[in-house]
Amino acid sequence: MLKTPALATLQTKFCCLRGAGIISFFDPGSHSVFERIALLIVLSMAGASCSEPMRDIEIPFQVTWGGEPMSCDDAGLALTDLRFYASNLELLTADGDVHVLQQLALIDLENGQGACQNGTTEVKQKVSGSVPVADYEGLRFTLGVPFDLNHADPLAAQPPLDDPAMHWHWRSGYKFLRAGVRSENDGFWIHVGSAGCQGTVGNITDCRFPNRVAVELDEFDVGKQSVAIDLEALFKGINLADGERSDCSSGPPEDTCIAPFRALGIDFAAGERVDAQQVFSAAP
Amino acid sequence: MRHIAIILAAFGVLAAAWWLSADSEYDWQLHPALPLPKVPDDNPMTTEKVELGRWLFYDTRLSGNETMSCASCHIQSLAFTDGRARAVGSTGEIHPRASMSLVNVAYASRLTWANPLLEHLEDQALTPLLGDNPVEMGLGGHEERFAELLHNDVKYRELTKRAFSGDSDPYSLLNGVRAISAFIRSIISYDSPYDHYLRGDVDALGKSAQRGMDLFFSERLECFHCHGGFNFTDSTTHRDARIEGVGFHNNGLYNVDGEGSYPRDNTGLFDMTGERRDMGRFKAPSLRNVALTAPYMHDGSIATLTDVIAHYERGGRIVEEGPYAGDGRLSPYKSEFVTGFELTDEERSDLIAFLQSLTDTSVTTDERFSNPFAD
Repeated sequence: MLKTPALATLQTKFCCLRGAGIISFFDPGSHSVFERIALLIVLSMAGASCSEPMRDIEIPFQVTWGGEPMSCDDAGLALTDLRFYASNLELLTADGDVHVLQQLALIDLENGQGACQNGTTEVKQKVSGSVPVADYEGLRFTLGVPFDLNHADPLAAQPPLDDPAMHWHWRSGYKFLRAGVRSENDGFWIHVGSAGCQGTVGNITDCRFPNRVAVELDEFDVGKQSVAIDLEALFKGINLADGERSDCSSGPPEDTCIAPFRALGIDFAAGERVDAQQVFSAAP
Repeated sequence: MRHIAIILAAFGVLAAAWWLSADSEYDWQLHPALPLPKVPDDNPMTTEKVELGRWLFYDTRLSGNETMSCASCHIQSLAFTDGRARAVGSTGEIHPRASMSLVNVAYASRLTWANPLLEHLEDQALTPLLGDNPVEMGLGGHEERFAELLHNDVKYRELTKRAFSGDSDPYSLLNGVRAISAFIRSIISYDSPYDHYLRGDVDALGKSAQRGMDLFFSERLECFHCHGGFNFTDSTTHRDARIEGVGFHNNGLYNVDGEGSYPRDNTGLFDMTGERRDMGRFKAPSLRNVALTAPYMHDGSIATLTDVIAHYERGGRIVEEGPYAGDGRLSPYKSEFVTGFELTDEERSDLIAFLQSLTDTSVTTDERFSNPFAD
């Protein structure tokens, strides 16, 4: 009885898989009565073993241009906006174990000052959480809001989804990323979110262009490094010296979206992930 | 004695249930021929909500710089349009599209010019209130002011308490938006000369308008395929509708690259779906009060009803020069109903006489829909 795969796994990794065990327990199709009783016992043991040492982790985020720090108050090229949703933030150990740090976080790297006058004074530069003590060497997350949350009623949303500036009222769903820069006579901003959605607001069934970005930082020194968002990498296909302010709002007719989406690893016309993203990286 | 008490109690419960079922108490004041509009389950109509919504609709404090209200772009005397080709927001930003009439919007199956996702006014209202691209009312970033207004203003506190008596904390953006939506749903027009004619007053339409009506509903002109039904648009629904009409059409206004493209900021349904076949497809607006809602089309690019008819006579517009030059008649995405036709001068004026007979001066003057701050 204890040789079923689910139980064997649980015996070796009580804590991190406890959640999965509970889900498995309630899934009526997956186990016999005996297996379930055994699972219950193992899960209660796992409860005890979860008192294993935990560690508080903070992951800082910062905005850069070509590797140099950037802010709303910069002379010349300045930040105008940088806010985004990161979901399924996970830390990876050297052994390949995965621990969830946070399900969904809003990162806000603009402070409403200077060129960011349309932003908010609040900033949120860190994601924190508690994970078992282990040797972590990787970080991964999705830039975006999971489908179900993305298309639920925005007026009933809970934090961090209750920020109206992040909701795309006419597209249904959230702006996963708002980013922008401007210079004396030029500028560019991008709003990334799901497009080509079917159904009606509150009852969206599918989106042809999900536009969620996979961020995988395989070598990330937890506790020492931060996540840098490099806007030069994001805007490298945009002419910021032609004197023409332009934008990309994830709409299908926009040529201006092709290059920045490519930098995010997405083929804009097809709405598919085709590459690794090149905008987020581990930084000292 | 006890029996009587029980009966009285039961009667009391029934009366309370009737009183609480707000929808049945709201009087739409509809003509019997008109169906009841659909209303979202979580926002039933009540007179208290409509009253609160009327004040909010006309209140400039709902804009970021306190210069404009909903009514700035939806003016009662113009059938709740603004007379502009393209709307102008509170900060001066020009919207790509024209303000739409709010008359009979309670019967619209989809809202705005080309959004297949937007079904309820409660969702739609968030875009003009909070949107930043373009800025319309510009309350985004200051949205807490809405709830503060409902709570701190003595009049609003009382109205909100009455409109949302079941809520422990009724002073919210959501409830404000619900009230505005209820007010807008109450703006219903069914009192034009055409309506009186349908009800048996044969003198309500002159001979010219009657001939124009026949032309409008003819297969020769095909107008009614998109502008059909009691609300003169195929995107119509109501509470007893068996089929919900949702229609988007390319009427041949643009063909900027010879391949049917529309100007970049106004691609219609294509902007939402990314499907090339949806290029330039927009909702056919209701033609009720159309004589009051000039200029015409989604971008206000046709000035008069005469020019609109000329556009449909040609079966698409030719733009001779400039960045949008091209012959819309040759667009591969044009509706099969926009094929062109020929009219005599008399027929043209008959058609205009009919369109003018759709003007309902009661909805443009009704005090229930007017600015309460002016009283």
